[in-house]
Amino acid sequence: MTSGMRLSQEGIVAALAALLFVGFSLTLSNFLTVNNLISLVRSVSILGILGIGMGLVIISRGIDLAMVATMVVASSWVLSMVQSGTPLGWALLFGMGFAILVGAATGILVAYALVPAIFTTLAMGLIVYGTGRAYLFQVDVQNAPSNYPWFSFLGTGNVLGIPMPIIAVGFLALVMWVLLRYTRFGRFVYATGDNILAARIVGIPVRLLIVAQFILTSLIAYAAGIIMSSAVSSMSTRIYNSTMIYDVLLVVVLGGISLSGGRGGVRNVLVGTLLVGVLLNGMTILDIPYTEQNLIKSVILLFALIIDSFINPRDEQTAQQQQGDI
Amino acid sequence: MTTLLSFRNATKEFRGVPAIKDINFDLHEGEIHAIVGENGAGKSTLTKVLAGVYQLTRGEMFLDGKPLVMKTPGEARHRGIAMVFQETNLVPSMTVAQNIYLGEEEMFNRLRGLYIKAQRFLLSLNFYVEPEALVSSLGAAKKQMVEIARAVHHQARIIIFDEPTASLTPEEKFHFFNLVRRLRKDGVTIIFISHALEEALALSDRITVLRDGEVVATDETKNFDRNKIIDAMVGRSLSDELYANAGERRPRPYGEMALSVQNLSKGRIVRNNSFSIYSGQVTGLFGLVGAGRTETMKIVAGVDKRDFFHGGVVKYNGERVRYRTPEQAVRSGIVYVTEDRKSEGFFETMSIAENIHMGELGRKSNPLTVVSRSEAKALAKEWIKRLDVKAIDPDARIIELSGGNQQKVVIAKAAIQKPKLIIFDEPTRGVDVGAIVEIHRFIEELADAGIAVVVISSYLPEILALSDRVLVVRQGRVVEEMTIDNASEAKIMFAAVH
Repeated sequence: MTSGMRLSQEGIVAALAALLFVGFSLTLSNFLTVNNLISLVRSVSILGILGIGMGLVIISRGIDLAMVATMVVASSWVLSMVQSGTPLGWALLFGMGFAILVGAATGILVAYALVPAIFTTLAMGLIVYGTGRAYLFQVDVQNAPSNYPWFSFLGTGNVLGIPMPIIAVGFLALVMWVLLRYTRFGRFVYATGDNILAARIVGIPVRLLIVAQFILTSLIAYAAGIIMSSAVSSMSTRIYNSTMIYDVLLVVVLGGISLSGGRGGVRNVLVGTLLVGVLLNGMTILDIPYTEQNLIKSVILLFALIIDSFINPRDEQTAQQQQGDI
Repeated sequence: MTTLLSFRNATKEFRGVPAIKDINFDLHEGEIHAIVGENGAGKSTLTKVLAGVYQLTRGEMFLDGKPLVMKTPGEARHRGIAMVFQETNLVPSMTVAQNIYLGEEEMFNRLRGLYIKAQRFLLSLNFYVEPEALVSSLGAAKKQMVEIARAVHHQARIIIFDEPTASLTPEEKFHFFNLVRRLRKDGVTIIFISHALEEALALSDRITVLRDGEVVATDETKNFDRNKIIDAMVGRSLSDELYANAGERRPRPYGEMALSVQNLSKGRIVRNNSFSIYSGQVTGLFGLVGAGRTETMKIVAGVDKRDFFHGGVVKYNGERVRYRTPEQAVRSGIVYVTEDRKSEGFFETMSIAENIHMGELGRKSNPLTVVSRSEAKALAKEWIKRLDVKAIDPDARIIELSGGNQQKVVIAKAAIQKPKLIIFDEPTRGVDVGAIVEIHRFIEELADAGIAVVVISSYLPEILALSDRVLVVRQGRVVEEMTIDNASEAKIMFAAVH
């Protein structure tokens, strides 16, 4: 029953995206231009990468609100290190270490201290941002180095005419798809999201699994940050104060990954990304003021959440439970 | 004696299955009436109907000779029927006084006034509880006092106690009994549900025995004794087809000692529990609800942790083990099949095949191993056949199955882990008769294959039908051990109640 419903939810979202795309192409003269499509693709690809990471934790009934902070601070730190003379390779390695540290700390708090993920990551986001601004770099905009062509290539180059960010999304999506679908790790992620008690009894190391997920998500956020700084040749910490994290949630929930855990996959993220990307781009061209754009997005997010809690209730069998109550 | 409340042909069904049927029951004004019976005999259902939690499917209730229909617990309270549950319904973060007057707060609430009022009231009941104390800081007995005070405050005429003494110390019990007698003197009628027959005999004026949802005996307490009650409780027809051969089976021989437990302790639930389990036979673990059977075996399987200090020793195949997670237990061959399949048994978003396969996945360690879907399905198919799961398609979702078939899937998920010691906790709870037969057959197969099997059950015929050896648990420890050829329902029940 639900498998059909899930399929159709994906289908509906994909169709909506296509419809919007066609609609915008026909009505907006500068929608279907090369420049615009490139900017669409760029914004969409960052959202897509973050969405894949967020999707992973949400499937196991977690959430990571610190993704944007990790993305911004880790990559800004890398850029600032390079500016003060550190070789890029080393800087990238340090940044990665930072991301792993953040993910591990979050995971340990969630899995071992049993702090709900939503609050842990909310606080962790602020801590990461604060640490970055206070100790890791001084100005809020860091410029990307220009003397590393391969670094610029990550964000601006293209292979066979396909822009690198898109390749990055595709590659990550493929890896995550295989990971979720065809490895024991992936099956464990779904099992934990579905029923953590049953997962534990069946012998899954649920705590380690949660830590591993947060580290992975943190690394994905870091990767998004690197590609973003390469693509726009700079990184601004002000992004942390934007609504980006809600866009990521919108992508994931709209695509059909349920907040009740255990349902959805990479496909859902991709579909959600397409729809949100086209929508955001169209609204920008239409010159809808930023605040109104946020209003529209938040209303859509709310609706997606309502629909999610209707078709994927946390507890499908509550009614049957009554029977055992004799 | 005037009749205060009565049931006439009262039946309550859950999905067509009667929990109580054709109950005729009279409650006299000002008496203490004990209701006894096995787990699942219908005691809770009967009292919940009385407390307005459930409505009768058929039949009638009368209060003061007038028909009584109640749709909500609030209505019952309104008519002076109060229920004191095993787990109290108090707000732990509030004080005693606030709890007693909960729901009657005025716009501007003066705590001092409230405390003085509560103090007077509690003293009038001879309850020595500090009105300003937080409920969370009170012991079980005092909490019960608060709950009773609340019931009296609401001018309850009938107070129902559901297993009130289960969590009390002997001294607290003594106070509780005095309290109940005092309430009777004040004209309150009391229904007292208990597993403890001595308490029922000591305290009550009349006793009603329930079995399988029916009243089998009701009389004045002086006409009962312990044996008479036990006979009434278990006197079911042993010709019951399902359990026909119980009692005449010969036990399987003892295999190796798989598990030896010494002085296992966990809080007040498991207390100095010592016993052994042997391979190649079924060990039945019988006890009443709350005896600590599940908790004991969950500790063995790494699901729960024992006390850190003086927690006792668990030896598995001769080696001391202390599992911190089920993962470690599963790897070394101890598997636990839960009594609550919905909340910790299966994965509701997954298919039957995926559920069964999850057992296989959980048994191994490397997380990056590739999972072959076709292999998973083949494996699942094999087990579906072995356990005779009635499903058209292994890809069907597990929540589309009946309770019995869900249980089979949960069992398959555990059996696929190649256990050396498997623990079934209430393996046939909420399972239809056909599936019970198949599950029992499978459990026997496992024992025949040399696996150490433990079956926890609250249903005596099931224990008798399956076990080679019966361990009786009472108050957190194994108190009696017998082989099946010299066990009987009455003997087991005698050991289980105190």
